[in-house]
Amino acid sequence: MRPSTLATRAEAPDPSRARRAGTDATRSEAPIALTGVTKVYRGGGGVRDLSLEVGWGEVFGFLGPNGAGKTTTIRMLLDLIRPQSGSVRLFGLDARTDAVAAHRRLGYLPGELALYERLSARETFAHFARLRGGPDEATVENWARELDLELDRPVRVLSRGNRQKVGLIGAMMNEPDLLVLDEPTVGLDPLVQRTVHRRLREAATAGRTVFLSSHVLSEVAEVADRVGLIRDGRLIAIERVSEIRARAVHAVEVRVGAGAGLAALEGLGGVTVRERIEDGLRLEVVGSLNPILAALAGLDVLDLSVHEPSLEEVFLSYYDGIAR
Amino acid sequence: MGIATYCVVMLSVFPSIHDNKSFAKIFEAYPEVFRKLFNVTDFTTGPGYLGAEIFSVIAPMLLALFAILWGSDLAAGEEDRGTIDLLLANPVSRRRVVLEKWSALVLGTLWLGAVLEGTLGLLGPLFSLSVGWAGLSAAVLGSSAFAIAFATAALAVGAASGSRGLARGVATALAVASYLLSALAPLVSAFQRVVWLSPWDQALGHQPLTTGLRPANLSVLGVVVVVLLAVSLWSYDRRDLAT
Repeated sequence: MRPSTLATRAEAPDPSRARRAGTDATRSEAPIALTGVTKVYRGGGGVRDLSLEVGWGEVFGFLGPNGAGKTTTIRMLLDLIRPQSGSVRLFGLDARTDAVAAHRRLGYLPGELALYERLSARETFAHFARLRGGPDEATVENWARELDLELDRPVRVLSRGNRQKVGLIGAMMNEPDLLVLDEPTVGLDPLVQRTVHRRLREAATAGRTVFLSSHVLSEVAEVADRVGLIRDGRLIAIERVSEIRARAVHAVEVRVGAGAGLAALEGLGGVTVRERIEDGLRLEVVGSLNPILAALAGLDVLDLSVHEPSLEEVFLSYYDGIAR
Repeated sequence: MGIATYCVVMLSVFPSIHDNKSFAKIFEAYPEVFRKLFNVTDFTTGPGYLGAEIFSVIAPMLLALFAILWGSDLAAGEEDRGTIDLLLANPVSRRRVVLEKWSALVLGTLWLGAVLEGTLGLLGPLFSLSVGWAGLSAAVLGSSAFAIAFATAALAVGAASGSRGLARGVATALAVASYLLSALAPLVSAFQRVVWLSPWDQALGHQPLTTGLRPANLSVLGVVVVVLLAVSLWSYDRRDLAT
């Protein structure tokens, strides 16, 4: 454990969450700690000098385009592949030499999910439950009901979305201390996606940790506390989702019945006037919209439109230069 | 099932050969080379017939092919199909996975050998063919040991490479080579000096059907199996697994 080196790359986890979960003795060590991890493939690709710490009670989103190194990192966490240098630790345990002990406390959804085609979902869960010592059948049935999964059909006839549900339930059914999910909501319909996100938030609230990867920021932002951006095998940024949001620039257009009060808007911090129109203004607002809404409260507002750029645009445009 | 059916067909043909003295003459007329290569000893006695027809090539090879297919899938199969990611996410070590799958293979092969023995031993008398259980057991055990040895070789190649095809190919080629070495040794003097290297020769070269069990030879195979298994565990444990 070398937290000091981590602090330079990664923000320390939210202390309030850490405190909430930290009472438990088994939760004293960070669920995920990567230090200077390098895994480079002969054909290129892989990850270089990756350091990252994820704390208790945190949902961490691992974001990057396909081929950036997300799956490589995740498979190193699972000891399916080994780094050429650096250390991978889970709960303070070595990911390789203590793999069995670490795996007892984690649930994993692979990115390229391959299932036992001849088994039904029920049989698949029973197989893993035997190896893990749980959960019981009733718990599995609850999960299946919640995600609307048919348990007794062979996996090979299931749709993409339903296969993904099998993978997700397999990872979550034991309510492990750490969930490692590679592109968890791929193929899921929006309703199920929302259920899964709610479950992940609940896990974090209970002090457990979620590490999920995605190539879509808007999805990550919906559920994650922090986001790490990986490109070409390098972790180039780690930020709180709330800070990314705060940096978003909103395009605001306001029309009023009587133009007199509009001057009050112009002096507000973070507000820039882009254009004056006949009965109103076109503005650019950085950060919170609260000040401008307060100023508008006393006016006769005819129309108000707010366009929020996608977080994608905000985040990626900000880091475009760094990555290249 | 296939093996059992084959045995029944072979057994049912035996009475016609047994009663026909001309068969013995036919084989006496065969050249020495042929008789040695196909293990033609005495076709008209029970053990002679079984030895030539079933245990000369077919039974050990079928058993071995079955076991090699299984063995090549042990480590490389789940990796090839991608399910190994999910399996190893559970609190089980790679070694345990390989060991447990290998144990199942050994039991499965022995079970198949038992089916073979049961079929021959129980149905043989119906066709007025009698082989002692001891000889039969010795032959079946030799065949099973041969099969398990090459299945473990397939496991080792699969564990080290992750390729089922390679595992299958290498193990099958070695099994056939081992048979040829043993079968041709009486004819090729160069082979005679190294015939002990052939697992086939160790398992079946001494005609277990007539001469019975030879624990020393079986334990040579046992050592081979243990070494191959250790290599499998070691190489599977240290390797990156494919997506």
